[in-house]
Amino acid sequence: MIGWTRRNAGDQSNSEAVIQLTNVDYTYQAGSPFAATALHDINIRIRKGTLVGIAGGTGSGKSTLLQLLNGLLLPTGGAVKVLDHTLLPNMQKPRLNALRRRIGLSFQFPEQHLFEDTVEKDLMFGPMNFGSSRKEAQSKAVEALKSMGLDEALLKRHPLTLSGGQMRKVAIASVLAAGPEIVMLDEPTATLDSAARRELIALLARLCREEGRTILMVTHRIEELMEVADEWIVMHEGRAVFQGDADELADRSEELDHWGVAVPEQLRCWAEWTARLPQLAALPLPRTAEDMARRIEEAVHGFEKCESTNIASKEGSQQESAQELNDQADSSMDAPYRHEKEVSACVTS
Amino acid sequence: MRDKLIIGRMIPTGSRVHGLDPRSKITAMLLFTAALILSNGWPQLAALTILSILVLTATKIPAKTYLRALRPLRWLMLFVFLFQLIAGAGNGTVNLAAADPLLWSGTWGPFTLTSAVLSSALLAVSRMALLIVFTAMLTFTTTPSMLSRGVEGMLKPLSRKGTGAERFSLMMRLALRFIPALLEEAQTILKAQAARGADYEEMKLKEKARLLLSLLVPVTVGAFRRAEELTTSLEARGYRIGAPRTAYRQLIWRSADTWFTLLFALLPVGALLMRLTV
Repeated sequence: MIGWTRRNAGDQSNSEAVIQLTNVDYTYQAGSPFAATALHDINIRIRKGTLVGIAGGTGSGKSTLLQLLNGLLLPTGGAVKVLDHTLLPNMQKPRLNALRRRIGLSFQFPEQHLFEDTVEKDLMFGPMNFGSSRKEAQSKAVEALKSMGLDEALLKRHPLTLSGGQMRKVAIASVLAAGPEIVMLDEPTATLDSAARRELIALLARLCREEGRTILMVTHRIEELMEVADEWIVMHEGRAVFQGDADELADRSEELDHWGVAVPEQLRCWAEWTARLPQLAALPLPRTAEDMARRIEEAVHGFEKCESTNIASKEGSQQESAQELNDQADSSMDAPYRHEKEVSACVTS
Repeated sequence: MRDKLIIGRMIPTGSRVHGLDPRSKITAMLLFTAALILSNGWPQLAALTILSILVLTATKIPAKTYLRALRPLRWLMLFVFLFQLIAGAGNGTVNLAAADPLLWSGTWGPFTLTSAVLSSALLAVSRMALLIVFTAMLTFTTTPSMLSRGVEGMLKPLSRKGTGAERFSLMMRLALRFIPALLEEAQTILKAQAARGADYEEMKLKEKARLLLSLLVPVTVGAFRRAEELTTSLEARGYRIGAPRTAYRQLIWRSADTWFTLLFALLPVGALLMRLTV
């Protein structure tokens, strides 16, 4: 569905880290009878220009993590390095507006934080706070609205008269308006319908790939971000139990359940097929449904060909059927299952 | 915000004070307040202080926590203290000038400070602190739902017919439930606006006023939304005022409750007697 070309891995590992967390702890209300430790010993490194998915069950510390990166919370242990700022425990609360201009954070249900009487004023709120002139802020507002795929006609509307999906996008646009280099979003797709979800993720992927911004997105549904995420962080009980790309995530898919994260459809499907056709296990995890369908198709046909030792027509028919499958495949993940019968027939024969 | 405002939240330690009937604790609280208002000298205050220290120790909650409960009101207490000093003796409710021998007095410019004035100002602040600490004790040892059940139980005899007590208790319960919910929401919104560059702690006064607007509008909208959702959800589950209803946790009045209440009943009586004999 989204045809972004992936940068190769070697390229990424060389690029600079924009976020670096070293042994970070965070305890809410430290020293009071209500003290609650939210994060333990977090070590994370995030490279510039990557799209990072953060997954984890409820109360696993995802939201706390985002707030630490923005200096809304100061760590109670360790060091948080974001861009050129370093946040340390017990430090004199620094003036953080310079940092916050460069790192935008959209909270859960951001539409609830709109307060002005027109969309335009709300979009200008951020840029004006960060020192833009009225004119600049106006043009930034228009730009942000467009980058979220919304019509300029909305500018004069009252935020509360928009539809839920539009309000969500306006709220995210109000974070983008300040032009942050790093954009963090806390479950931006929650309560959106599937079309709006896909659209939003496509927009975020575009921000990342075309404008080179670093995107951190918290989500409950790994599958929605599987195609575009460069990297995953899984949080469990206040610890970052996993950091790596989708392939590594696929290798540890059995542990996801234990971490309180639903195993994404893609991984479940892929695991089923790799169990049946061991030659698939050597391949990297296909990120899109189409790609996965094609890989499975190839493997299935290769298997058939082996069985019948009909090598002569192998090349042609394989390409043909892969093409056919590609045409059929939409974004739905059940595409590979269509060939289930075929394979089981193959195995039994 | 929440780490500063700790009053109003139960701290479970399983002490005997926690186990008391909420009605007896509320009654004790009322009696204690009456005694505080009636007390007009250091001896009475000392008696009240000793009694509250006994009760506070029995709750097994560290003294530090009670001091934290006082913290948000320290400026108000300072104001009361200074006001008493400046307003001087002779026109306050606590008139010690006659009772106390004048130990010393000093004059700085237009201000005359006497030991009596100082003593009355200190007394006013101590009474206030005692009241806050005692209220904190009540909320630290009683869950909001038990508190409202207690109030309902105490109001019932006053409204034999009709549903006044139940309405009042439901209202109180919902209001209590809304306080932390709205505080949390306000805090999230403050953070969200801070993320958009409007950090309360980094602003000038004029900008702060503007930030207040960016906080008030979403919080008000949110409060109405919550209230509407809550009533709908209550009605959807068949909640009806005045319907016969049983409680999961029955309020049980034990002999300890009687003794506890009686102990506190002595306070205002004693204070009144001392007042009359002076």
